[in-house]
Amino acid sequence: MQANRNALKVAVIAVLTAVVVVFTMIVRIPTAKGYLNLCDVAIMFIAFTFGPWSAFIAAGLGTALADLISGYAQWAPISFVVHGLEGLLVALIVMKKGDEPVSIFRKALAAVVCVATVSLGYFALSALFISTVSVAAAELPGNIAQSAVGFALGLAVSAAVKRAYPPVSSLAW
Amino acid sequence: MTTNTFVAGTGWLYRFDPRAKLLLMVLMCVWFFLPVSLIELSTVVILVVLVGLYNAGWKLVVRTFLSILPMLIFMVIFSPFNVRTGSPLIQIKSFTLITEQGLEQALRLMSRFIGITYVCTLLFATTPMHEVMLALRWYRLPYRASLVVTLAFTYIPFISDSFSQISESHRLREADDETKKRFFTRLKDLLPTLTSALVVALRSIPNLAMSLELRGFGLENRRTSFHDLSSYPYTFTHFVVSCMIPLALWFGRSIF
Amino acid sequence: MEPLPSDLMSFPAKYKMATALSINNLSFTYTSWTQKQLEPLFTDLSLELKEGSKTLLLAPFNKGKTTLAKIICGVCPKYFPGALSGEIQVFGKDLSTLEPWDLLSQCTYVAQNPQEQFVSTSVEEEVAFPLESMGMEVQEMRSRVNAAIQTWGLHDLRSSSEQELSGGERKRVLLAIMQAIDAPIWLLDEAFDDLDQKWRDQLKAMIQNEKKTVLVLASRYLEEFNDLFDSVLLLDEKKVLQASVSNVLSQFAHLCGDDLPNPLHHERCNIAQEKTLVCADLYAERVRVSTNTAAKFNLEIKDFSLKSGELVTLVGPNGSGKSTFSRLLCGLDAPLEGAISVDGKALVSKQLSKKVGYLFQSPDLQIFLPTVYEELAWSLQRNSNLKRKEIEQQVTECASLFSLDLSDTPTTMSYPQRKALQAAVYYLLDRPFYVLDELDSALTYQAALSIIARLRHKGAGILLITHDRQFAQMVTTRSYTIQDGRLQAV
Repeated sequence: MQANRNALKVAVIAVLTAVVVVFTMIVRIPTAKGYLNLCDVAIMFIAFTFGPWSAFIAAGLGTALADLISGYAQWAPISFVVHGLEGLLVALIVMKKGDEPVSIFRKALAAVVCVATVSLGYFALSALFISTVSVAAAELPGNIAQSAVGFALGLAVSAAVKRAYPPVSSLAW
Repeated sequence: MTTNTFVAGTGWLYRFDPRAKLLLMVLMCVWFFLPVSLIELSTVVILVVLVGLYNAGWKLVVRTFLSILPMLIFMVIFSPFNVRTGSPLIQIKSFTLITEQGLEQALRLMSRFIGITYVCTLLFATTPMHEVMLALRWYRLPYRASLVVTLAFTYIPFISDSFSQISESHRLREADDETKKRFFTRLKDLLPTLTSALVVALRSIPNLAMSLELRGFGLENRRTSFHDLSSYPYTFTHFVVSCMIPLALWFGRSIF
Repeated sequence: MEPLPSDLMSFPAKYKMATALSINNLSFTYTSWTQKQLEPLFTDLSLELKEGSKTLLLAPFNKGKTTLAKIICGVCPKYFPGALSGEIQVFGKDLSTLEPWDLLSQCTYVAQNPQEQFVSTSVEEEVAFPLESMGMEVQEMRSRVNAAIQTWGLHDLRSSSEQELSGGERKRVLLAIMQAIDAPIWLLDEAFDDLDQKWRDQLKAMIQNEKKTVLVLASRYLEEFNDLFDSVLLLDEKKVLQASVSNVLSQFAHLCGDDLPNPLHHERCNIAQEKTLVCADLYAERVRVSTNTAAKFNLEIKDFSLKSGELVTLVGPNGSGKSTFSRLLCGLDAPLEGAISVDGKALVSKQLSKKVGYLFQSPDLQIFLPTVYEELAWSLQRNSNLKRKEIEQQVTECASLFSLDLSDTPTTMSYPQRKALQAAVYYLLDRPFYVLDELDSALTYQAALSIIARLRHKGAGILLITHDRQFAQMVTTRSYTIQDGRLQAV
């Protein structure tokens, strides 16, 4: 009887999406591309704790909805692809088979992939659809800084949450 | 925190069938990438802004413009450098600063950007979110996907509320002799706040799953729907109009 | 001979009333997430509800009342892991063969904390959601939704979101949903909480008149219950106790510790330095979130004072401005006019936050760290004058005063323990004044009083906010009431 837990999947994705939206919208430092924010912290937490699918959907959908709510609807599809991919890739890299902790090497790789996906993703898509290479290139430093800080903070936060709220492991699927 | 993007109004865009409006939005976004002259492009952009003014009011139009202003300034500064060839406009000695083609490209990008921004903003300003979802459902978006979006919207205010209360309580706990904090301490202080907000959010997950099932999520019969789009009787006509507008703008260029 | 009237024909059946819900030998233990072994919540619990019966099950706070409801609904241990044994039958069907959604048309659960049951963005969609799941005809659905919304006075709030509603309004939405589903079993967890008198009367009438099987779970006995129920039961020693009402009530009072001496009486409070907090001519405004009532709420406080060692209560209904006032007191918001001063010196925001500690109603919003030790030591470590040894000593003393285990994980502790931890944190901060917001809302009077007694240890002045007059009378000599943003000394 306990097999069908579809409602849990829906609940997990929905709440995590809302978390990404809130983290994206709480801290805002205005920049050319909208604003600098904490969305990467939430995305890293989800990738480390909930696995690739949740990370892909919650990260993509969450950032897209945040764009939409704050009146940057034109960025929503790009955010969806870039952050969705970021969550997916990082989660795949740090995916665990058993209880053994994630090695430093994999964490470092995850960090590189995280920063690269965000900065290059925005660079490529925005150069293609919104602006040109030179404009997109000017956004690179901001995006690199944001995702690097996001990754570091996200790593710390996921460790803290696991300690502070052990039942979190029963929610992953 | 408000999640509302809807601006109350009575213009024709509000009475336009959301399904057709979605199509119109996509078609217009595509239109801005068609090979048209700069004059034609900017004329259409001005038309879109006027439609916005008429339907959703000047406040929204100004607010939207201000939100993309930094990006526009960025474009003005950086994009003319992109094109190095062509007839020079500004030269410093032998170094070409801005060419005619570079300027034209910058203006084209800006017009396109403004156009896409207003088209997207107008859709969500003139259609309530649940009608957007109904329209997407009509386009065969799975029920579960639309449920996730609706639930996320339900939980955004709850989580942001918890977050602000948590940061407030954090502030109230400062020790007696604390004064100005350094950047690093601030960042370190952010950590427990974020953790605590996440825990509050995570704790609500089992409750949400429980409530969904107690409200019948999981039953195999077909769901009925309380809301529908029957208040928009002219669906077909609106679809025709949605296709006509971009076509008319395309073929009507020679007339202007 | 005249044919018998139809209800006499069914006479025998009335005496053999069918069983709506039966629980046999239920045992349940929550999964432990720490090293600690958890006590079973129920052992060999049995309970039978006849069709159409109205039952009140009393249980002290935190003794598994809500867990029992969740088990009956089939969502525990599914989403709240634990070890369950025993048999539950709903209308003769074994619960273990059913999924929670199969119970939708059989049993409606109204949660104690309504926030957790919301799944839609507006009130009318919330009421319609379960009917949509059933696949109900749209015409029928609309009429049921409209009727339920009318009955519970939610018409003006139809399109409001959950966040815009007050606690009482949220409860009414859940009751409207219960009415719209029209299931034969109603499971009400602290249903009368948060409701104003008018709606309490309506709920009472509904329980009396509708032919439903009703189980009300409560942790406080209300006068109103006197003539409402066929039987009053008590959850005691992990079992259900069946006895006469007066026996049940006296046993219940004993379980809640109501017969213990009031901890405030023998507690001493050592005032090191007499301080006085005074508010004069405060004026503040607040815009209600709700889109429907755009009217601004304003708060006017002519004169309020609190001295060290004093225990003062502030009593008022929901939405009367209690929390607006508390936020001013602890410096979270600034008043538009007037000033708050301590010992004659007017203080603002941060200075005030360091004089007045504010304990939120929900402890979870004030607990951050993974262990009790870290939580308690956090603020002390930021105080540069303290040495490591001193910190350790203070934390240990404080933990034993509040009966806390230093290695515990706060998020998995019980509610009363989390509440005690929240108080302990502030105890260490040693603020001269405290505002306690709805301290008694999910604690026994005894537990709430002992928290107050401990906080007063160092002579702090305490303002206790509550909507429970009975509790207010138990603790104070001086009291204020608040109504529509106007404060009055009693």
